[in-house]
Amino acid sequence: MSHGAATEAPAGRIGGPAIDAVGRALARLTLPVLLLLPALIIIVGLVGYPLAKTIWLSFTETRLGDLIDGSGEWVGLENYKEVFTDDHLRTSLVNTVVFGTACVVGTMVFGFAVALLLNQRLRGNVLFSVAVLLPWAVPALAASAIWRWLFDDRYGFVNWALVNIGFSSFRDYAWFADRESAYVAIFVTVVWQSFPFVALSLLAGLQTLPRETLHAAAVDGASAWQRFRLVTLPLLRPIVAVLVVFSTIWDFKIFDQIYVMATGVPERAADTAAVTAYRESFALGHYGVGAAVAVVLFAVLLVFSIVYVRMIGREARA
Amino acid sequence: MRLLRRGWMYAAMLAVSAFALFPVYWVAITSLKPRSEIYTRTPDLWPSDPQWHQYPRVLGEGHVARALLNSLIVAGATTVVCLIVGAMAAYALTRFEIPFKRVLMMLVLMTQMFPLVVLVIPLFVIMRNAQLLGTYAGLVVTYLAFTVPLAIWVMRGFLVGIPDELEHAARTDGATRLGAMWRVILPLAAPGLATTAVLCFLEGWKEFMLALTFMNEETRKTLPVVLQSFVGRGDTDWGAIMAASVIYTLPVVVVFIVLRKHLMTGTTAGAVKG
Repeated sequence: MSHGAATEAPAGRIGGPAIDAVGRALARLTLPVLLLLPALIIIVGLVGYPLAKTIWLSFTETRLGDLIDGSGEWVGLENYKEVFTDDHLRTSLVNTVVFGTACVVGTMVFGFAVALLLNQRLRGNVLFSVAVLLPWAVPALAASAIWRWLFDDRYGFVNWALVNIGFSSFRDYAWFADRESAYVAIFVTVVWQSFPFVALSLLAGLQTLPRETLHAAAVDGASAWQRFRLVTLPLLRPIVAVLVVFSTIWDFKIFDQIYVMATGVPERAADTAAVTAYRESFALGHYGVGAAVAVVLFAVLLVFSIVYVRMIGREARA
Repeated sequence: MRLLRRGWMYAAMLAVSAFALFPVYWVAITSLKPRSEIYTRTPDLWPSDPQWHQYPRVLGEGHVARALLNSLIVAGATTVVCLIVGAMAAYALTRFEIPFKRVLMMLVLMTQMFPLVVLVIPLFVIMRNAQLLGTYAGLVVTYLAFTVPLAIWVMRGFLVGIPDELEHAARTDGATRLGAMWRVILPLAAPGLATTAVLCFLEGWKEFMLALTFMNEETRKTLPVVLQSFVGRGDTDWGAIMAASVIYTLPVVVVFIVLRKHLMTGTTAGAVKG
């Protein structure tokens, strides 16, 4: 540690105390920099460099051979033009936004309702909270397999239950035969997996609310709905905002569930941007086009990420 | 009126619980049913004759045992490397005056938000050129891309809570900086290290896209990849898939129930989600 200071010492005599101070500052930085170095190498080498490389690839025509020896041909904005004009590619972007937004809204509304219910502290609340926790623990791949089986056309539980309560048109109903009904099934899967996190986060927020304010509102004759809309919701706004942005990022980049559950949909009409970027690259060998789809998705998520990071930063300082 | 309102709430609570629990229950009993009870138009809500034969069968024939081992190796190795690298960086970021510290932390958090698909093509090339495609080491290295930032973020949260004075006291008593780190900070940071370890392990356990891309050999596939190959097959064997799903999910459920008080710590960095 004293190494830096020792080499700087003669300079101190010539240049005065200013350079001496620089020397000492450098010496103080040696240990922290050494400690940070492995992490920095990993982040720069495995996140920074690949990100830059993908952006570069998105401006090239690259096949598997080109990819290996790095000889892709520069094509400018060609790939991006294709992303926004090709039917399949454009549809996958629209799918991402529409389906992703539906998942965010579904998760938030259902999660909020469950949080309010948990906050009532009914009898059996502890068991209830463990039940709510459980879907969160199920990995995406297992959840996709489970719901794929529940929505099976011939032997699935969902169709059997729907027929039994009177919807006989659901006998042998093929959920994965077209985009819309496949999305219903995947929507249920995603909400099932995501609502516990939202519900438990909102519950933590609900428990910090000042009881006096809510009580005072009740005494003044505000109905339950008015108390929720005029007291609870405004006070929880910061948490709700963080959760909405967070869920948006998660539901827009969704890959596993779509990859497993949407494979049977004709013409891959239910693929979202992440799956399309992956398939264009690794199934079809159009690495340039795949990279362009990935970069578009990345750019959209970057906006949300910056908003999110600023929110968290503000909270961390407060 | 009040009684009616309570009644509605209990009904809602039961409905939500059923929605949360029923799929898990259904998987468990499907894995215990004989074939004739799985492929039936009138499914039984209770297996008439529960059988365990799916489990030894799946573990034996379906490469699931091998995949289980692969997943343990990959997630375990990721956890070890990630803890060491992450703890070092987190210590540096809490105990030293480093220029651009805030920006650095924000960047670390931001990497958690990236879609993995934007990194996967170059990572594939890097691994191919390093001849690490299809190896445990290759997959573990790529997992560090998203687990190390997570570890830094979570660990820092714990280290900030340990007062500086303790370390100063130890150093006044003659301990070296590393000595103080080892004997004073490390024991106090143990709960943080444990939480970080679990979160990193789960990331490695659940990751699918990179494993799908890099591990093509049947003997090197991890659990999610094997599970996916089951679902995609034409003659879908749902009894086997459900047994494999139970094997894959059970460890995570146990961890979640044990650690449920600490789960929220990693969430701001995007951990512990599907």
